[in-house]
Amino acid sequence: MKNYLFRSLLMLVFLMLYGFAHAQSISGTVSDANGSLPGAAVLEKGTSNGTTTDFDGNYSLEMGSEATLVVSFVGYVTQEIAVAGQSVINVVLVEDSSQLEEVVVVGYTTQTRGDITGSVASVDMEEATKTPMVNAAEALQGRVTGVTVVNSGSPGSAPKINIRGFGTSNNTNPLYIIDGVQTDDPDVLNSLNPADIDQMNVLKDGAAAIYGARASNGVVIITTKSGGYNMSKATLSVDMYTGVSRVSNLPDLLNAQQHGDMIFESLINSGEVPNHVQYGSGSTAVVPSTLQGTGIPAPVNVSPGGTDWLDEITQVGQTQNASVSLQNGTTTGKYFMSAGYLNREGIQLNTGFKRGSTRLNSEFKISDKVRIGEHINVSFSRQGPGTNQINGALRMNPLVPIYDTAGNFAGAYANSNELGNTANPVAVLERAKNDYNKNFRLFGDVYLEADLMEGLTAKTSISGSLNSFNSRGFTSLDPEAAESISTNTLRQGIDNTNSWTWTNTLNYSKTINDHNLNVLVGVEALKESSKGDGVSRTGYLFETPDFYLLNNGSGTPNIDFAYDSSSSLYSLFGTANYSYASKYFVTATVRRDKSSRFKGDNKSDIFPSFSLGWALSKEDFYPVNAMVSRLKFKASYGELGNQTLPADNPTINISGLSEVYANYALNGSSLSTGAFLSDVGNPNLKWETSKSTNIGVDLGLFNDAMSISLEWFSITTDDLVVRDNSLIPTTGPDASPPLVNSGSVKNTGVDFSLGYSKRADSGLSYNISANISAYKNEVTEWINAFAVGDDFRNGAITRTEEGQPISYFYGRIVDGIFATEAEVAAAPDQNFVSAADGVGRFRYSDINNDGVINDDDRTFIGSPHPDFTYGINLGADYKGFDISAFFQGSQGNDVYNYEKIFTDFPTFFNVNRSTRVIDSWSPTNTGASLPALRNGITNSETAPNSFFVEDGSYFRLKNLQLGFSFPETISDKLGMESLRFYLQGTNLFTLTGYDGLDPEVNSNRGNLTLGVDFNTYPVSKILSLGVNIKF
Amino acid sequence: MLVVVLACNEEFTESKAIGALSDEALQNELGVDLLLTSAYSVLDGENNKGGADWHKAGDNWWLDVISDDAHKGSTDGDQADLYLLETFDWTSANPYLFGKWKAIFAGINRCNSVMNVIGKIEGTDFSAKEAEARFLRAHYNFELQKMFVNVPFISLENFQATEFNQPNPGAIWAQIEADFQFAIDNLPDTQSDAGRPTSWTAKAFLGKIKLYQSNWSEALTLLTEVINSGTYALLPEFADNFKISGDNSIESIFSIQFTADDGQSYNGNRGGTLNWQGPFGCCGFYQPSQDLVNAYQTTGGLPLLDTFNQTDVASDYGINSDEAFTPHTGSLDPRLDYTVGRRGIEYNGYGLHPGKEWVRSAFVDISGPYSAKKSIYQESETGNMGTGDWGQQRSGINYHIMRYADVLLMAAEAAVETGDNATALTYVNMIRNRAKDMTYVKNEAGTADAANYSIEPYASFADQTMARKAVRFERRLELGMEGHRLFDLRRWGNAAAIMNAYSTNEARTITSFNGDSRPYEEKHNLFPIPVSAIDLSGNILTQNPGF
Repeated sequence: MKNYLFRSLLMLVFLMLYGFAHAQSISGTVSDANGSLPGAAVLEKGTSNGTTTDFDGNYSLEMGSEATLVVSFVGYVTQEIAVAGQSVINVVLVEDSSQLEEVVVVGYTTQTRGDITGSVASVDMEEATKTPMVNAAEALQGRVTGVTVVNSGSPGSAPKINIRGFGTSNNTNPLYIIDGVQTDDPDVLNSLNPADIDQMNVLKDGAAAIYGARASNGVVIITTKSGGYNMSKATLSVDMYTGVSRVSNLPDLLNAQQHGDMIFESLINSGEVPNHVQYGSGSTAVVPSTLQGTGIPAPVNVSPGGTDWLDEITQVGQTQNASVSLQNGTTTGKYFMSAGYLNREGIQLNTGFKRGSTRLNSEFKISDKVRIGEHINVSFSRQGPGTNQINGALRMNPLVPIYDTAGNFAGAYANSNELGNTANPVAVLERAKNDYNKNFRLFGDVYLEADLMEGLTAKTSISGSLNSFNSRGFTSLDPEAAESISTNTLRQGIDNTNSWTWTNTLNYSKTINDHNLNVLVGVEALKESSKGDGVSRTGYLFETPDFYLLNNGSGTPNIDFAYDSSSSLYSLFGTANYSYASKYFVTATVRRDKSSRFKGDNKSDIFPSFSLGWALSKEDFYPVNAMVSRLKFKASYGELGNQTLPADNPTINISGLSEVYANYALNGSSLSTGAFLSDVGNPNLKWETSKSTNIGVDLGLFNDAMSISLEWFSITTDDLVVRDNSLIPTTGPDASPPLVNSGSVKNTGVDFSLGYSKRADSGLSYNISANISAYKNEVTEWINAFAVGDDFRNGAITRTEEGQPISYFYGRIVDGIFATEAEVAAAPDQNFVSAADGVGRFRYSDINNDGVINDDDRTFIGSPHPDFTYGINLGADYKGFDISAFFQGSQGNDVYNYEKIFTDFPTFFNVNRSTRVIDSWSPTNTGASLPALRNGITNSETAPNSFFVEDGSYFRLKNLQLGFSFPETISDKLGMESLRFYLQGTNLFTLTGYDGLDPEVNSNRGNLTLGVDFNTYPVSKILSLGVNIKF
Repeated sequence: MLVVVLACNEEFTESKAIGALSDEALQNELGVDLLLTSAYSVLDGENNKGGADWHKAGDNWWLDVISDDAHKGSTDGDQADLYLLETFDWTSANPYLFGKWKAIFAGINRCNSVMNVIGKIEGTDFSAKEAEARFLRAHYNFELQKMFVNVPFISLENFQATEFNQPNPGAIWAQIEADFQFAIDNLPDTQSDAGRPTSWTAKAFLGKIKLYQSNWSEALTLLTEVINSGTYALLPEFADNFKISGDNSIESIFSIQFTADDGQSYNGNRGGTLNWQGPFGCCGFYQPSQDLVNAYQTTGGLPLLDTFNQTDVASDYGINSDEAFTPHTGSLDPRLDYTVGRRGIEYNGYGLHPGKEWVRSAFVDISGPYSAKKSIYQESETGNMGTGDWGQQRSGINYHIMRYADVLLMAAEAAVETGDNATALTYVNMIRNRAKDMTYVKNEAGTADAANYSIEPYASFADQTMARKAVRFERRLELGMEGHRLFDLRRWGNAAAIMNAYSTNEARTITSFNGDSRPYEEKHNLFPIPVSAIDLSGNILTQNPGF
């Protein structure tokens, strides 16, 4: 009411002024993207004649008609407008993204950008959401220093995020805080519409200590958009794009004739007279016109040249995204609501991800001193099917067509047909099209905030997340397969995960003259539980989804898995920021966590951190017009923990009943129940602790038009938690080895970023930003000689030991191919039957110089860790046109191209190969890249060796966007505030020397098995057309 | 509210392991039973250490493949790791060896866990249960010893101290004997559960251990005691040993109790899941060799001990099912057609074997034209049948780790070596007479024998050399395709000679076998220790010579 009166009075004043004054009177509204801006300064240029905007952002000022209006507000780019006879000038201020006054959410508190003393990086979400994203974590790639992101091409699969190297061999997912919801499950971000995100900040150093035992992998703090109080009107935004995605790089495989030639040459080289079911027994392979052999129901025609299976399993996928948001606010309430729909078809047949989500954020003032609010996010997604047929398509025999003449799927029909035993990958994808993983997720928080007294605020919030996951998979009969199944199976799984967090904080802030103090203390309880089971049943009469119910099967149902687990954490924490005259900054933080995952004294620990900052450029003695307009030093030290473990009860031995592994028919007919030790516990287990040191300097040049930030860090993680396979080795029981504190790892590195933006008088504005991050990873202590990674065919590929980086590649060194018998005879013994047998084979280095090549000749053959990763962002706009380009890359990392054991070697003889095998060794091709063709693996050539290690460096145009905003005159007529169209391309080109499908290898294995490329779903090239409308 | 949170925080930060049995929960009679059952459960090789079912198979089928009894089957490229084993291109990374290695140690340590719990319970006498555990542990260690020769022994003390990295300086016969002796002393003479060993079972096994150490007289004493106990007898029908009706018969000494428990059949023979062809679709492995078939030729009802490979039993290798094939007309031991599936002969109730049509390997592959028979169900015995999730077969037919015929032949062998040819002759003829008196495989009409069968007992053994030859040959004929052959060859010390001769002979009929196999050398009497095992032991394990 008071407001209304005030506003009316003002209006009256305006009217009077308008009525009586003939001198130039200018009025209007100053607003930003969220609505009106009260308190903005409006000034006649070159004079002291000025005013500030009122509560509703209105102003009025008398000035000459040739004057220039200067409108400024803290945190926004100052604008100058020539009056040029206008009487109403509405000004929309643009937030200054490089501005030091930006308020950054750093956990339970906020700080202004310029005051931060820790290493806190922020993603420019407006720029990042230009790229069509499924998972918001993709926004971190190349945009934030020190964060390594490896995407999966499979839509709906979370990318792998590592902040500042690999501090653990265990979970390296950062902790995500989404408006107070806390989780380290990266899949949460699949449920969040990236367009809803206002800020995404990454705490990389001791600043994360406020999250104590879960902070050692860094903390990503996401705050979603909210309305503003006192908005002049509701703002409705509509963002839509539609496009297509296609596979970006397919390797060349042999065609039918080349395949036949390869088979024949292999047989001849192996001392056999070629006599092949398909290719005949003549002097050269003859491609048959129909498949030969047994079990073939009708003539099955071989396509001319053979089937290009990679081409057949890939598709041009549709991509659609629409998101609508509405925000508004009055004096006592504000809200933001949004709805989004995303459909991303994969580049393999029938694969894809769909998501519908809605969000409501609101806050109400109950009184002047009490606010209540909530954030609610509801999303539903469907991903499916789970199968990835890249490996199948690489291996499928090219003679087999997709369909036989009757229209049924074609296959190898029988192993004796010499067509390999790979299942028709198109059939696999088609039959799986009704398989799905459905996910319903609800998360958010409710909070109450009260100003108890001047500067003292209490807040209580309860946040929670409910996740209901259900999956269905149906294995259909496949009569055409070489190894066809005899019964079909339906599998269903349900997993329910929920968590809640109750946080209570007291925050006190006080400013006395130049002294600025902010103190926060809090208590928090967190509980996570999950429960699930999976059931399968065989024997379905009909293979249609309408029939897919467990009760329709005829076999005995099996319980495939069942679990029920929980963990909890109870914490006390506090943080204090003190600054003096914006020159000196001190932050101290401490958190005590108590976790259910550990025992006794190891249950709880204290995590402190401390940081300092000095803004040298604010000192009186600092020259006023220095080229370096801002200079700030900062340093921090913090201790952080990692309590996320692959087990909820790691301290105790667990034995379990098991139908599969423990039951036995003691009486010969009926089963007796048995139990076996399945998990070995370690009562002494404690959490990993990282000691993080960060030293940085922030520079502003040319009146802060250019900003430079350089940080050096060193993170030592002690008590690394690893499953100790040496404690329960192969000679031990068949139980999961205990988690033990097995060593220390050190990551040191540098993050560098540079930004420059310029708005020229011509109306052209442009910006450039670049960042580069490097880390060096070294295991500094390890209780065992070494740990090995996952077991592949022929054993483990990766090894972790003291003095080396985590998960380096370990194997034999190939130093050439034997060209003559004399060379074989002179070389160390590789156990060839005869010297002649060794010609054309790999020659291995005799690492221990004992004259014999065996397992003792394995050594370091590569590292998956990059020398550095980088991102470059370029942008410009001119008269409504805008263009932006984003490049991103990785340099110096090795990839173990495990896929080559299938595509380049006869691991499966009759399957297809890469065209690389054309360059196999022969007496007439002694400079070959591959050994002589054979009909089977010989000389251990597919065992881990340096042949498979490749440089995985790449440089990629991640995003290119061209936009056009219609002039206001047109958008106004359409009833819109703004209207912009854009054309956008993602992953348009990649420069790499890597032979595989994609150098971005997300193996989704543990951190002891990094950089192994096997059945990787390649990233796709996406072209889209989009529109942004604001009403 | 803060106070409430603070007050309950002790309880709040405790999370129970739901559905799990703690060590304490197992320290009672029920716990002993549960753990003991799981120690039996690994007899089939299935354990929680990963690896494919067939790598860890409990019935040792792929060890026959390495011997002269069988080929791997299917196409050469299918399970290429087994191709490399069969052709003696052995590497320490072969997953078959690693799978078997891990399965054996899973078994050993499950036994240790039983003994560990028994040791913690006071006031109850568990010696019979402990004896079962030690019997099983000895069995697992024996499997380990046979395969890898220089092996570590993981004791109860090692288990309790979590010290599993133990060196492998050599043989562990003494430890194996101690366990079997404990079993003899503490097991009852009869068990109500057919799957559990008795003191007689343990005695038979100890006899076998003595035999493996060429300790002939002790072996003979133990085995004779078993024979004379009257506990066991030969079944009238040889073939019943490989039917569900023959499970746990009077001839069974100790068997893996497979059950085809419907659905996905976790307790059927998962290790043998590839070994089906003909009527079953997948997967065509475990094909008997021509050499084995030739061994069943007889003259005057007796085997051709030295000359069996000078003539070949007619084979349909290279002949399609729609092409004519003239069956062998020479005289044959009737056990052949209960051991080997071959063209024109009735196949376990599924009709006449049509030859190539039922054989998965092609003519270019090394595996030849035959099919396994002992491990395949009878068409009429549906209770034996089980399937896996991709439709593979998981049979419920028990696998005989040891049957009475084996005991008789081991006793005969020990008798020969102690100079007692007469006893050897008696035992060998018991076996041959059973074969002679059994029902022979009939032709399709059921009117006559399917082939020219002829078998007679030996009239006498001329001398020790001849007796030795006869006994060893009888083992092959009686126990062919039952997973024993490779270890017999190894302990007889003539593996290299026999295997290299086999390699040459086999290529005569199965021409595609020519040149694929490397020579059998001394080093092949031991398998290489898996490289991953050596790696994870921190190099405490050392590699066998030659690898």
